[in-house]
This record gives sequence, C-alpha cells and structure tokens, in this order.
Amino acid sequence: MIIIGEKINGSIPKTGAAIAAKDEEYIRQLARMQTEAGADYIDCCASVNEGELEVMEWLINIVKEESDLPICIDSPDPQVCVDAMKFCDGRVGIINSVSGEGNKIDVVFPAIADTKWGCVALLSDDTGIPKTADDRIKVFEAIMERAKEYGIAPNRLYIDPLVETLGANPESMLVFNECCERIKEAYPTIHITSGLSNISFGLPGRKFINMPFLVLAMNAGMDSAIMDPANRDMNGVLHGAEALLGEDEYCLDYIEAYRDNLFGPLNRD
Amino acid sequence: MGTLEDLREKVMKGKRKETGPLVQQALDEGCDPQEILDVMVDAMGVIGEAFSRGEAFVPEMLVAARAMSAGTAVLKPVLVAEGNEPVGHAVIGTVKGDMHDIGKNLVRMMIESKGVEIADLGVDVAPEAFVQYITEHPECKVVCLSALLTTTMPALDETVKAITEAGLRDQVKIMVGGAPVNQEFADEIGADAYTPDAGAAAERIVLFYQN
Repeated sequence: MIIIGEKINGSIPKTGAAIAAKDEEYIRQLARMQTEAGADYIDCCASVNEGELEVMEWLINIVKEESDLPICIDSPDPQVCVDAMKFCDGRVGIINSVSGEGNKIDVVFPAIADTKWGCVALLSDDTGIPKTADDRIKVFEAIMERAKEYGIAPNRLYIDPLVETLGANPESMLVFNECCERIKEAYPTIHITSGLSNISFGLPGRKFINMPFLVLAMNAGMDSAIMDPANRDMNGVLHGAEALLGEDEYCLDYIEAYRDNLFGPLNRD
Repeated sequence: MGTLEDLREKVMKGKRKETGPLVQQALDEGCDPQEILDVMVDAMGVIGEAFSRGEAFVPEMLVAARAMSAGTAVLKPVLVAEGNEPVGHAVIGTVKGDMHDIGKNLVRMMIESKGVEIADLGVDVAPEAFVQYITEHPECKVVCLSALLTTTMPALDETVKAITEAGLRDQVKIMVGGAPVNQEFADEIGADAYTPDAGAAAERIVLFYQN
C-alpha cells in the first residue's frame, strides 16, 4: 500500500489554526510523526482563501527540512499545484488532484508530461460525482485519453473513484468497488487511492466503517490511501489485509510493522 | 562483516537465497565446515529462544529454518565427505486423527538445526506406522509425538503402548508435545520427556544422544 499522510491539511481545524498562526513547530511535528509512522508521501494542503501559494511554499519548506519523503501537493487550484512543484526541488511527488472538472487537466497534464511526477485523478466532472459506476468509468476513460495524449503512463496515476457517504448512499461501497475492479482490469499497473474516511461521515463509531472499507477496497484493487499513517487501528487492518491478500510473504511486513509499534498494544512489557 | 557473521545474520533474517552462496563463500575462504554449521545452528537457537519468549513469530521461525536448509544443502556433501556423523537419528509425526502440522514442522526444523537426522512421518500417523518405522530403523533412538487437540491426546497414549507392546520401548526415548499436552500427562502415559516449544524440544533431544 502507498500511504499518503493526510495530516498537513488546513481543513483539519488544528492544522488550520497552526497555519493561521504560522506555528512552524506544529507542522514540523506532523511531518516527523507521519514519516516515522511509515508514510510514503506527505500531503500538503493549505486550505486558505488568500495567498495559497505562499502558504504552500512555507509548508513544503518545513516538510523538506523535517523529512526525506516526497510531497503530495494538494490544492483545488490546478495552477497552485503546478506552481508549487518548484518548491519541491528534485523530489518527485504527486499532484493532488485533477478530475474531469473544468480546466484542471489542461493545466496539470502539460506541466507534468515530461517529468516523473504522479497525479491523483478524481472521477468527478462538471456535473459532480456521477451516481453509477458506468458514468464514473466514462470520466475515467476520458482522463486516460488525455493522459495518453501527454504520454503520462498509467503507473503515474492515482485514480480516486470517490466515496460517497454511506449514510446517504447505501450503494456507495459497491459502486466504489465496481470502479476499482474495472479500472484495474483495464490498466493493471495503475494506482487506486481514496481519502477513505468520507465513507463514514455522519455515522457513529466511524472506525468500524473505515476499517472494513479499507479491507473491502483493497480486495477490489485499491493500493493506496490518503489517511493518517499514525492511526493504529487502520495500520493494523492495513497490514493484516495485505498479508491476507497474499501481498506479504510469510507476514514479514506485518510482523515488522507490529514490532515497530505501528499497531497492537501500546504497552509491550 | 566477516562471511560467517554475515551468514549468521542472513539465517536469522530468513534470507534463503543468500545463505547457500554464503556457505559456499565461507568454504572457499577455508572455514571449517563444522564451524559453518555451528554458526547456523546458533542463529536458529537465537530465533528459537526469541520465539519461546514470544518475541519472534511462527513465520520468522519458518523462514529462518528455510534459510538454514538452503545453507545446509551446500554444506552437507562436504560434511559427509569428511565423515561427519549426524548427532543422532529420530522420527517425528502428529498422532492419528490429528491433522495439525505447523508445530510439528517447527519442532522438526529446530531438531534438524541441531544436526539430528530426523524422519518426518507427517500428520494423522497411526501407531503401527511409528512401530514399523522404528523396527525398520534400528538407528532411530528418539520418537517425537505431537498432538494439538484434547480429543487426539489419547492417541499419544496409544502410540506409546503400541511401541511398548512391539517390544521396542528400550530402543527409543519418547518425547511428546502440543498445545494441550503437559508434563503431568507425559508422566501419566510413560513418555520420557515433554517440552513446551520447538526450541526446548531441540535442546532436550540432544541430551538423549549424550547419554
């Protein structure tokens, strides 16, 4: 699994407050904590109304000092994503994100065409999130068409089929899984990712929705997640599911993660 | 890092593809074959002890044992050519009616790591099959019996009885083990030893050959 650490995001109230107060130490600690927890990328999302690019530069510079991990540049504004690439120096990261919406692809794909950068692509378009798997796959096919045009190989793309809140749509997981299966069948090397906690929005005991979601989605082909890498419950489920799916010979990664105290009992005496 | 030190670490980490070539390299560098074997035995011992303490886990034992066999496969012809005798001969099996093999396999691997030649009769082994093996192999001095269920524990008793009735009880020592088995039960059925885990079984069996 490719884990994109989600904690440095201004839409999380505490992180938003730290950004507003220019609390460098708080951001630094989030970067450190996610690195130690085994994240593969550190997401940086400013989530501010004005001066987004400057905030992005500030965030990325802190992360660069604190961690060797590549950065996932997260903004609804494709121009900010592209402009922030230069702050990452040589580190090849991921743009988060494009979709079938507006001009996002027109801005981002040319900018990453001749690089090794990855890109998250959401299966939404100008009409919003399509209800059916068929309609989301149409958006997907249109995105792949454009990727081909710019010579962006499937293995650089992180497709997010999008999860609707289960409490509002009982078919949410089923649609998500159908998308995963069809996407992987068409492009076996492509990545599928998800900001998965949306599935449980508005429900009590959210982890009891989030954890089985992770397992079922992994079984359908999801191989990346945008999540808190230090969430012990999710870590245990993630490593357990990888082993069960035959992606961890002799459970050695599972054991290592347990030994690194990423999940399981806190007190090991 | 010296070759032997490297070999020791690779066995402990279960790096199967690297142990064979490392054994060859150690031989080429002129290391004593017995010393090479000792290093691997020692590495297995460390894993076995960690396992007993609950600090290492079943798959780690399995990959370490697998790595060691890859190493011994290279070493064995050399040891045989030099006339090195195995520490002793033994036979192991899970008793009749019981299909569990993980624990039994771990015990076998740990015993092998001590340089004991041990035949594995598999799972669901009838008392007569043990009797037949012992009869046909007079060099076999120890019988290791495994039972993982309370319902198959009586088969341990039956196997000991069958060996006694066949007049073979003086030829062999009998070791028993498995989750529901304990020292009290071992005494009750007249077994010679009970050990709680694979590492302990390997330590214990060696003592039989020293007497």
